[in-house]
Amino acid sequence: MEGPGTADDRLLHQRVVGGDESALSEVHDRLYPLVLGLAMRVTRDRSVAEDIVQEVFVTFWERPLAFDPDRGSLRGWLATIAHRRAVDHVRTEERHRVAAIGPRLTEPEPSPLEDWVLAADEAARVRLAVSRLPGEMREAIELAYYRGRTYRQAAVELGLPEGTVKSRIRLGLRRLADELAEKEV
Amino acid sequence: MPHHSAPLGDTPGPDRASTLGAPGPDRASTPGEPAAGRPPVSSDPGRVSTGEAGEPGGGAVPGVPGTADPVTRLRLDVLAEAASEAPPGARERLLAAARAARPPAVAVAGIAAPYAARVAAMDALLACAGEADWSRTIVEGWTLQQLLAHLAATDGLVAAAIGAPVAGPATAADADVAERTAAMIAHVAGQPPELTRADWRAQAGAICRRAASLDPATLIAPGGMAFPLPDHLLARMLETWIHTADAAAAMGRSLPLPVAGHITPTADFCARLLPWTSALSGVEAADRAIRLTLTGPGGGAWHVPLDLGRAVVPDDGSPVDATITCDAVGFCFLLGGRGAPATFPAEVTGDAGLARDVLHAAPALSGP
Repeated sequence: MEGPGTADDRLLHQRVVGGDESALSEVHDRLYPLVLGLAMRVTRDRSVAEDIVQEVFVTFWERPLAFDPDRGSLRGWLATIAHRRAVDHVRTEERHRVAAIGPRLTEPEPSPLEDWVLAADEAARVRLAVSRLPGEMREAIELAYYRGRTYRQAAVELGLPEGTVKSRIRLGLRRLADELAEKEV
Repeated sequence: MPHHSAPLGDTPGPDRASTLGAPGPDRASTPGEPAAGRPPVSSDPGRVSTGEAGEPGGGAVPGVPGTADPVTRLRLDVLAEAASEAPPGARERLLAAARAARPPAVAVAGIAAPYAARVAAMDALLACAGEADWSRTIVEGWTLQQLLAHLAATDGLVAAAIGAPVAGPATAADADVAERTAAMIAHVAGQPPELTRADWRAQAGAICRRAASLDPATLIAPGGMAFPLPDHLLARMLETWIHTADAAAAMGRSLPLPVAGHITPTADFCARLLPWTSALSGVEAADRAIRLTLTGPGGGAWHVPLDLGRAVVPDDGSPVDATITCDAVGFCFLLGGRGAPATFPAEVTGDAGLARDVLHAAPALSGP
C-alpha cells in the first residue's frame, strides 16, 4: 500500500464527508486517468472500465468513512477498489464463458492489486523497463522511486534545477507507460 | 498542545505559565473524549506529498513505517500517465449517480452551512451503519436510532421556531428538550432505521433552506433559550458534530474534522458562551476578563469579559486577568460536555484560579 494520505487527501476527505459535491468533482478530475488505467489494464474493455470508475467514485462518495487517510493515500485506496471490482468483473465474465463453452486448460487468474504490483515478475518487469530508459530519465526515476528522494533532493544530487528533474521524471513515466504497453489497452 | 509557547501580549500579574490538570503523560489524552473527536494526526510536514502529478519522491522514506512501497507508487504513477482523459459528460454522470446514493449537504451559503455539513457527515456515518450498529448503545443509554431521534427532537424545536416542517408529532417551539426527545424516541420505536434517518435528514434540510431565507438578526427561543437564529444553527452544528463523534467512536470509525471554515464560527460561538457558563456556575468574576487563544484548525483569539453585559470580541490586546490557550476542537467539545475539565489540556497564565474556574464551568450549558 502507498503511504499515509497527503494533506490534500485529508482536506478532500473532510469535504466529501461534509457532503461537498465540488470535492467529489476534484477527486474525479484528478484521479480519473489513474483509476481508468487500472480498470482497463484488468478488463481490457474501455466501456466496462468507465463503468467501474464511476462505481468506485460513487462508493467513495456514499461511504467516505470507509477510507481512512491515516492508513493510506486516497489514490491507493481507490486503485485497490477499482482493481477488486475489475477482477470481479473478469471472473464473472469468465464464469459465463465457462458455462457456455467449457473451461480453458490454463486460465490466468487476475490477482489483487498488491499481489499484482508486488509480484516478483511484475516488479522485475518494471525494473527492466526502468533500466532501459535513457540515462537521464533513468537516473531521475531511480532516485525518486527506488531511493525515495524528493524532487529537491534529487535535483541537488544530480546538480540540476528542480524543474528539469521533474520533467525528466514525467518523460520517464510516459516512456515506461509505452514500454509496459499501457498507452491504450 | 503548545506547552512551550508563551501566550501573546502582556499579562497583569506574575508572568507564570501553568497547566491545568494532572501533570505527567496522562495529560496528553483526555479520558472520556472520543478518539474520533480529536484532530487527525497531520501529515509530517517534512515529507513531500505523493499522489499528485507533482511529487513522486515523497512517500518512500526509508525506515519510516507505513510509507510507500516504491514499486507500487511507480506503478500507479505510470498508470496515471498512460491512461486517457475522462470522456465528455463523465463528471456530470458521476455527480448525478452520487447524489442518488447520498444527498450532498444542502447548498446554503453562510450561517446554515456548518450545520448542513455536519448533517451530511452524520448521514455519511449512518451510510456505513450495519444492523448491529443501529441497536448499539452510543451515549445516554440511547441506541444509534434513539440518538438520531434525539437529534431530530432538538432540531424539531428549531424547525418549529422558524416555521419549517417538523419531523414526527407536532410540537411547540418552546417544548422541553427532554420531553420532546422522549416523544421522538417513542415515535421511532419499531420504525425501520432508514426511515428515522430519512425523516431526520429531511427536517434538517428544511431547516437549512428556511434559515437561509430569514434575517440573521431573527431572535428565536427553541426549548426556551432566546438567541439569534445563527447561534441556534451553530448550537445544532455542535450537537450534531459531537453526537456524530460519539457514534463514530462506538462504531470504531475514524471521523475527520469539519473544514476549518466551519470550526471557526463554532469556536466563536463557544467563546461567546463562556460568560454564560461562568455565570451559571456561580463564578464571581463580573469585573474580570480573560484572553482565550484557540490553536489548530478553526482557532483564533478572543477577549472574553466575564460580564454578561459586555460582548466577547476578537482579541484586541486589552488587558486581561488570565489567559487560556488550548486546542480549538477540544474547546468546542469541552463546551459540549465531552472531556473532563480537570484534565483538559490547556496552558494558562495570570490568575490560574480564575482560568481554572472558567474551564470547570465550561460544560455548564451542555445537555444530553
